[in-house]
Parts: sequence; C-alpha cells; structure tokens
Amino acid sequence: MKQWVFFMVFILIMGISGLVFSREDQERLDPSAFETPRRPGAVFSHDGHNEKAGLSDNCALCHHVYENKQLVEGESSEDKTCSDCHGLKSGPENGIPLVRAFHARCRECHFDSGKGPVLCGQCHMKE
Amino acid sequence: MNAFIGFIMGPMVWISAMIFIFGLLIKFIFIIKEVREKEQYLLSYMTVRHSLRSICAWLIPFYPRSTRLRPVYYGVSYLFHILLFVLPVFLFSHIVLMDQSLNLSWPALHDGAADILTLAVILALVFFSLRRRLEPDVRFLTSVKDHLLILMVLLPFVTGFLAYHQVFLYEWMVIAHVLSGEFLLIIIPFSRFSHMITAPLTRAYTGSEFGHVRHAKDW
Repeated sequence: MKQWVFFMVFILIMGISGLVFSREDQERLDPSAFETPRRPGAVFSHDGHNEKAGLSDNCALCHHVYENKQLVEGESSEDKTCSDCHGLKSGPENGIPLVRAFHARCRECHFDSGKGPVLCGQCHMKE
Repeated sequence: MNAFIGFIMGPMVWISAMIFIFGLLIKFIFIIKEVREKEQYLLSYMTVRHSLRSICAWLIPFYPRSTRLRPVYYGVSYLFHILLFVLPVFLFSHIVLMDQSLNLSWPALHDGAADILTLAVILALVFFSLRRRLEPDVRFLTSVKDHLLILMVLLPFVTGFLAYHQVFLYEWMVIAHVLSGEFLLIIIPFSRFSHMITAPLTRAYTGSEFGHVRHAKDW
C-alpha cells in the first residue's frame, strides 16, 4: 500500500512538473511549408545553435546550392527557405523531399558529431 | 549517448529483423525436416486443398463454430492480432524512420486513431492476462512464463504510448521502446510467439485429417 501511494505521488509530481516547465517559449522552425503538419515545429534557435556547433562561418553547410545534383562549391543560399527547393512530395524533380531533407540535415549531423538531439520528441517537443 | 541511440535505432533494428525472419524460416525448415524423418505418415494424408480450406475458414472472423460460442474472447483476440501488425507497420513515426533509412514510405494511420488503437492493444493484453488468472481451466495451464510473454508484448506498446505523449523521462522511454520492440522480434522464433508459423501448420494438419480422412469440417 505504501509503495502504491509513493508511486502515485511520483506520477503526480511528474505530471505537474510537465505542466509547470512547459516549453512554450522556445524558438521553433516555421512549419508553415507543410500543408498538414503532423508534429509540432522542431525546436531550433538559429544563432544559438550555430555558435554552439561552431558553424558561424559555414553558412553553406545548410544553405547550400545544388545544380544537376552536384554541390556548387563556394555558393550559398541564405536568401531562400529550405522549402523553395525541397518540395513536399518526392519525385524525379524532387529527389530529397522536405521532411527527409530536414531529418538528414539535422539528425544525421547530430549522429556524425555525437552531439545534439536525435530522437523525435527531442526536436518536435510538445507545445 | 548518440552513438548508443544510433546503434539501437540503426544496425540493431536490422539484426533483430534478420533474427526474426531467418529464425522463423529455419524453424519452419526444421519442423518439415523432423516430420519427414519421424512422422512420415502425416504427410501421406495431408493435402493442399484441405489444408488451405481449413486455414481460410479459420481466417474468417466468427466463421468457425467455436469462435461464435465465445464471442468476447475471440473478438478481443481478432482485434488484438490485427492491430499487432497494423499499428507498428502503419505508424507515422515508424514510416518516417523507414523513409529516412531506405527512402521507402507508404500511407500512415492518423495519429489520433493510432493513439486510441494503442490503448485498445494495451487493454486487450490486460484482458488476456486477467483471463489467465481468472478462468479456471486456462489458469491451470498458465505458468509465470505466459505472463512474462504478455509483458514482453505490452512493453513496446506502453513505452511507445508514453513516448508519443512525452509525459516523463522522454529519452529513456524511447530507448526502452526501441529495445523492448527489438527484444520482442528476437524472441519470436524461440518462444510460443512462433505460432505465427506453427499455427497454420497445425491448421493444415487438422484440416487434412478432418477433411481428407474423416470427410468432415474442422471449423
């Protein structure tokens, strides 16, 4: 009985702390390119991330330019959004659709560097 | 930590899938070999027609008489077995991971529907567990191992449900979800879960004996 009460109190504290420390104020990627987003926009603070990851001089890593499936060295595309090139549906003209592009860019880099979130809910935090 | 997560969500998925598929395949081959060596007479009256007839009859919900005599148990059982395949295969999060690693995707269930169906699977497992405790004749045939097997199926669904809702200990919940799912796949060929392939074989044998020898139906 004592253990049961302890367990219920534990669950209650977890639930309340979840409400109190909700992450509403976090910066997120704009999910408006998706017609019907199925997950909350990924938590991402552009400047904070790049400072931490040491990417301040390497804009073209994410803001890259590809022509005929070849990376154009020395050019970058800060004036465009990801969805300008990466369409929603995959097809012959759209080899890497938007969802896959985001996941490949963020998650695979986090795996390669051994740092940063890699699980679904670590980026797509509940709002 | 990322290296560990990368391993359990990468190579370990394929290792468990291979153990699951080849484990069942080897088990199937082994059973056929054993029958050929030791129980040759079984094959003498087994026919494809009577085997398939029986398997098909038992695949139609509530068609066999004994399923109509116990509608609640069989109703829960049908629903549970269908969802056990449909939910993980058509879950959006799983399809996204598949798309990421193999560039393969297919239509996904609505998340809200998947959520309710997950609860249905959890309730069905609680029902099976209670049945094993409360129904005297089933209780007689039940050992701790049966409850452990139910727990093994329960774990990936409960941890998946809690992880989706990000209620508490999110990272650990996903890790527990992935590991328990892989463990479940791995133990299928080595446990009673291999009824995935042995049940149709039993059906084929019974269907042949009833159909081909006794000229009767076994449903």
